[in-house]
Parts: sequence; C-alpha cells; structure tokens
Amino acid sequence: MSVTTDTPRTGLALPTEVSQALYRLVAALLICVVLSFLSDAFLTTSNLLNVLRQTALLFLMASGLTLVILTAGLDLSIGANIGFSACLAAAAIKNTGSPLVGFAVGVSVGAAVGFLNGLLVALLRIPSFIATYGMMWVAWGVTYWFMAGETIHGFPQSFRQLGSGYFLEIPIPIYIMFAFLLLGTIFAQRTVVGQQIYAIGANPMAARLSGIPIERRLILVYVVSGAMAGLASLIVLARINSAEGDIGEHLVLPAIAAVVIGGTSLFGGSGTVAGTLIGALILTLVVNGMNLLLINASWQPLVTGVIVLIAVWIDIRTRRLAD
Amino acid sequence: MKHRYLVTASVAAMLGLSSAALADGEIIAVFTKNQTNPYFQNVRVGADTAAKSMNAKITHYIPTKPDSIPEQISQVEDVVIKKPQAIVFVPVDYKALVPSVEKLNAANIPVINFIDRLSGGKVESFIGADDYSIAKATAQRLIKAMDGKGNVVIIEGVKGALTNVDRMRGFNDALKDAPGIKVLASQPGNYQRLAALQVMENLMQSFPQIDGVLAANDAMAVGALEALDGAKRKSLIVGINGTKEAVDLIKEGKMLASGDYNGFVQGCLATQAAIRHLRKQPIPKEVLLKPVVVDKSNYQPYEIPLEQRKCPTIEEITG
Repeated sequence: MSVTTDTPRTGLALPTEVSQALYRLVAALLICVVLSFLSDAFLTTSNLLNVLRQTALLFLMASGLTLVILTAGLDLSIGANIGFSACLAAAAIKNTGSPLVGFAVGVSVGAAVGFLNGLLVALLRIPSFIATYGMMWVAWGVTYWFMAGETIHGFPQSFRQLGSGYFLEIPIPIYIMFAFLLLGTIFAQRTVVGQQIYAIGANPMAARLSGIPIERRLILVYVVSGAMAGLASLIVLARINSAEGDIGEHLVLPAIAAVVIGGTSLFGGSGTVAGTLIGALILTLVVNGMNLLLINASWQPLVTGVIVLIAVWIDIRTRRLAD
Repeated sequence: MKHRYLVTASVAAMLGLSSAALADGEIIAVFTKNQTNPYFQNVRVGADTAAKSMNAKITHYIPTKPDSIPEQISQVEDVVIKKPQAIVFVPVDYKALVPSVEKLNAANIPVINFIDRLSGGKVESFIGADDYSIAKATAQRLIKAMDGKGNVVIIEGVKGALTNVDRMRGFNDALKDAPGIKVLASQPGNYQRLAALQVMENLMQSFPQIDGVLAANDAMAVGALEALDGAKRKSLIVGINGTKEAVDLIKEGKMLASGDYNGFVQGCLATQAAIRHLRKQPIPKEVLLKPVVVDKSNYQPYEIPLEQRKCPTIEEITG
C-alpha cells in the first residue's frame, strides 16, 4: 500500500464499491441459476427461505467483522466469542427462566470480549491477529472451564422464536439480517464515524493527521464485532437449542471467507457490509448446492477453498485494473 | 495350641492388612484428549470412581487446546519426571504419541492404553470399544425399527477422521444387509450440531420423505432433530455416544437410540487394570466392551448421574 499517493476515501460510497457489490450479486445470481437447472428442489420457496435463513446467521457473525477488517485488522476471536456468549447466555436463561436476560447477557458478554480486544489492539498496540488469537484462547479456556464438558439444552419456546420462529411466513433471522444490513450500511457509508473507519484502514497516517480519534474508533469496531458475535450466538442457541463449549469453533473461517468473498479488502479501507451479505449468501448457496446435488463429502472443503481463492484473486485483479 | 493358632492368625491378619495398606494410595496419571467432549468427562468420572473405591489417587492430564498433540507430548514429559506409579492413557493421535509412550516404557512406568489403540509402544493392557461395531449395532437398531424398509440419510462426521471412517464402515455394512432400505444421501456434518442442522435442512428440501437418520454422533443427531422439528417433520434418528442429552431425548421418544461407548465404564476398567497391575494381580491383555445400543428399553441405568454410579469389575464386563 503506497503511502504518498493514497488519500483516505471519505464522503458517500464510491461507485467502485457499489459496482464491486453488484458484480458479486450477479455472481450469486448466476450460482442460483445454475443450481435451479441442476436441482428441482433449489428454486422452491422452502429452499430459498432455508438458504436465506442460513445466510442470515453467517452474515450476522461476519457483519461486525467487516468493520474490523475495514480498519485493516482481523478478529480471530469471534468463534470463541460465540461459544462463550452462547454458554453464558444459556446458563442465564436456565437460571432466571427469562429469555430477555439471556439476550442481554449474550450481547453484553460478546461486546465485553470485543472491548478487551479493542484495548489490546488500540492501547497496547498489539497486532490484531495476535491479540484476537490470544483472546480466542482465553475465551475458549473460560468457556470449557465453565461448561466442564457438559451441555446445556432445552430453552423456552419464546426464546427459540429468535432462531426458528416465523413472521408472516418468513423466518425471523431473515428480518434481523435485513435490519442489520440497513443499519450497517447507513453506519458505514453515511455517518462520519463510519467514514473515519474507512479512512483508518485506507491510510492510518493520514487519518491520524486529520484528527480522527483512532484509538476510540478501533475500540468501537472490536466492540461491534464482539456484540454481533454475541447476537449471532443467541440465534445459534435458539436454532440448535443447546449450548456446548465448542459451538463457535468452526465458524471463524467461514465468517472471514464471507467478508473476503464479499469484496472487503484484507488490507483495509475498502468494502461494504452489503458485500459481506452477498459473500455470506454465496458461501451458503455453495453448501446448499453441494447438499442438494449430493456432492461427495470429500470434495466439499476443497470447493469452499477454491471459491475463496477465486474471490480474492478477482478482488486483487480488479484493484490492479482500477489503479 | 489354640493360643498359638490365634497368635499366628492375628499376626498373619495384621501382616495382610498392613501389606494392603502399603499397596494403597497409588498415584495414577490419567490422560484424556480434551475438556470439551462430554464423553471424556464421563471417562474421568469413571476413573475417579474406580480409584476412590480402590483407595488410589488420580491426577488428570488434559490438553488445554482440545486434542493438541504438542501439549499431550509435553504433559507426558512432565509425567516422566513426576513419576506416578502408573499411567492410563488415550493418545490424542494414535501414531504421534508412540514416542512419548516409549519414553514412559523407558522410565519403567506401566501404561494402560484405553479408548484409542496406540500403534506402538509397550502397554500392559488395552481397554476399549470399537467405533465399527458400535456404529453397526446402532444402524441395525434403526433398520429393525424401520422393519427393513424405507429410506435414510447419513450425516457423517469429519471426513478423514479415524472415528468417522470406522463409523461409516459400520453404518454401511449394516445397510448392506438391508436391501429394503435406500440411502438417499450421505453428507458431512463435521460432528458439529449447527452444521448438521443446516445439512439436514438442505436435505429436507430435496427429499420430502426421510424415514431414518443415521448420525455419526449425538450432537449431529440432535442437530438433525432440531431441523426436523422446525419443519414439523419426523424421522427415526440414531446417534452415537450415549450422551445425557441423547438419553433424555430417547426417554422422550424423540430419538430412537444411541450407540454407547460408555466412557464411564472405560474409565473405570482402565483404572482398575492399572491399580491391579500395580498390586501384582493379573489383568487381561485386552478388554473390548461389547457394543451397547441405548434405547427406550434399557436407558434407565444411564439416567443415574455419573457421580452415583458404581464401577463394574473387569470380570463383570468380560464374563
């Protein structure tokens, strides 16, 4: 990343970002077209809602992470955070019988972990992948000690609505997804703070010189990432109706993949929350497609890996063309 | 004369008692793979229960990062220095931990191998159950409940994991003997609850009627169950591990059965074997637990909380 010629991107969303998101939307639609030819079951209302609901979960995890990656950071702790928040929320619901308490616990624990990440990165200046990697271990450790190898299962129906309920025939997580898509996009593109976050990632030196309170903004993005992990953990809890120590273990990499496939650069400074939603959609479509087409289990991780590589390659090529 | 007999008898009794007292208080180091899987929690409780009833002490060694090879290797090195009287050991990796076991052999600390068989090193005994026969018995239970007719889906574990390879072999061999059952799909759930739920949701889109679900572990079985419940569909579901959650669901009739490794019993027997070996009593070279499929007819013993269960003896299991 050159130092002298880059200027921080401020103001309204640039056409480049919008067109990036559009290209990806086209890619997602192409996948849909292909799948609808290859499988009768794909283009049914039931399956489409199914795909959207699964996308919603992945998107919620990855949405806060997008803000972190916009600052050229990385949050490797979200998986552990999901497990930690889910387990504490589960215990809270079991002990108080109140879904609201569980909700509050889940989001605040997630945010608290995020806050600690923010302190490590912003104040102690520890590189984010090291800080969040360490936090991941801490969160795992506390979670496993707390759960002691047990599972907490069986939650009240009112709580479970969050994950498995419907409103007007549409699964509730889908509404939550669109709500946060709107909130996230408005925040990132239309608020000063949002634009400052882009600036920090694009050119930290210039950002500091133009008076942006970098430490506060960094702490903010990690808190948001953690809070979204907390929210996602509640939906996971509502869907699977159990809490175990290792729930989030396999969720970090798909979340990062969703952000990257969605066009957000790991180098910071460019990307959109909408892009992350499309990235999450593409990943979910691929798994859905593999299950519908009964693709042999051995091939599935390979397919996911190839798609991530293609997405990153396309991203790097289009940036080179744009420069 | 009678007096002399009495004296001899009481001296002999005292000698007997004191040698028993000298033999007690052995320190056994028990190695398990992780803190996350409830199965290993059961194993540890079994070990503790056996040790308590036989007057020995246990130190547990568990990697903080689940299934971490380097951590287990370094824990073995610690133990070579601390020198407990015996080791009860399940390797995180059955090949990578062989050199560590050889270090224990060189230090003359006897090793009882349990759960996963080591591919090398000298062990006094192996106590285990095997994935293949448990999976086969569990699948057979499902096939019986389906009267040998209908269609099933298989939710696999982690592709490439040894447990998964054996469990899939077991499932598939049982299915080979049931020509009336059609396998609609075999898709990976990675032993994860959420992944299995989503896979099941996807499979339900393609297949409006699924009569049976074979899940390679209980977590995935419960994930599949949640998916079915969400769509107001029903299937007969079997899993593997015999966790408390599965037992509760079997009692409620929501799950059909679960193949049981009985971690508790394995912990009991391996510890018993270690203590007996130290007390110079004979132990068998190998104890393979017969597969037990927990279902509505036999779940009651599994409801007893672990801490209240008694350990069976090696003879009760092998006899």
